[in-house]
Amino acid sequence: MSGFPLPIPVIETERLVLRAPRASDIPAHVALMGSDRSKFIGGPQDEATAWRGFAGSLGHWVLNGYGMWMIADKADDTPLGRVGFINPFGWDEPELGWHLYAAAEGKGIAHEAAVAARTYGAEQLGLDGVISYIDPANVRSLALADRLGARFEREGEVMGHPCHVYRHPMIGEAA
Amino acid sequence: MAHTDIPVLETRRLVLRGPAAEDYPNFKATFTSYRARFMGGPLNPYESWMLYAAEIGHWQIRGYGMWMIHDKGTDETYGMAGGWKPAMWPEAEIAWVIWPDKGGKGYALEATDAVRRYLYREKGWTTAVSYIDPKNLDSIRLAERLGAVKDHDAASIDGHDAVYRHPSPAQLDGSQLAHGIEMEIGHYADPMFKPEGWAVD
Repeated sequence: MSGFPLPIPVIETERLVLRAPRASDIPAHVALMGSDRSKFIGGPQDEATAWRGFAGSLGHWVLNGYGMWMIADKADDTPLGRVGFINPFGWDEPELGWHLYAAAEGKGIAHEAAVAARTYGAEQLGLDGVISYIDPANVRSLALADRLGARFEREGEVMGHPCHVYRHPMIGEAA
Repeated sequence: MAHTDIPVLETRRLVLRGPAAEDYPNFKATFTSYRARFMGGPLNPYESWMLYAAEIGHWQIRGYGMWMIHDKGTDETYGMAGGWKPAMWPEAEIAWVIWPDKGGKGYALEATDAVRRYLYREKGWTTAVSYIDPKNLDSIRLAERLGAVKDHDAASIDGHDAVYRHPSPAQLDGSQLAHGIEMEIGHYADPMFKPEGWAVD
């Protein structure tokens, strides 16, 4: 990487490394955001918009002191998706968000990553009992929120889209 | 959290530093205003926040980016200048923006001259363009004061912008143009200097 890396913490789990997003991850991100898989996370987006979103997720760490990690395969560093805390202008409070690239789905990766990020947030970032915004039609994310022990709290809205607000348990209560 | 190693550039009146969280309110005020009409705006508050975040992230992705322009004495911010190449840009651009109430003092000229020399000397750029809305006369005049000329053959971003080609490092080095830029900056820095005509960036 040619740039000026931010001191984004690295978290290791059994199969994964949560690390700073880097330039080599951009094609995977652009592909996701250009596909129908991104319909619940602000997409589909053209390449220019997706690139700026990726760059913005790095700046998010500077502006808020937390942000999204790249989920990478521990064995070969392949980018598998993203997980972390999202709180740009217009969010009610910091959100735990996640999304996977198509090839990574169905292996429990999002669960493993979300547990690690949530635990780190509660223990290190002062982000405990956070929310997740989930489109009620996004059945896969609803199922994951349920596995994570998050509970429906209220109807909400983000970026003008109605969605459901799920509340995660505090760290001591986590399932 | 902040970039700790973005180079700090000092000029006669200015200090250029990486964009920081505390500088965001001034950026937002400009980019949500009519001032941003030639820069894709006015933006809504979400778009403005995301653009600023992207300008920060650009440093990590590209290894260069937009600096925040500060007054050397008071630390007040005046705008931004630097290298900019998001996706779909045909070439790396030298870009600038001055807050609406800070124009007319030559800050953009002084800052952009410094970042251009940095990008040429330290980053090895051999050429540079600026993509400018044809109606943005203040920016076109600044491009011309920097020696840039309209490049009719170069690809634009989307057909709605004019491409101004900066003089190459070799064309600039030790030239009458470089000397003239230095002299103009000196005039602005001189408290006795009273510019004639209308305000320019």
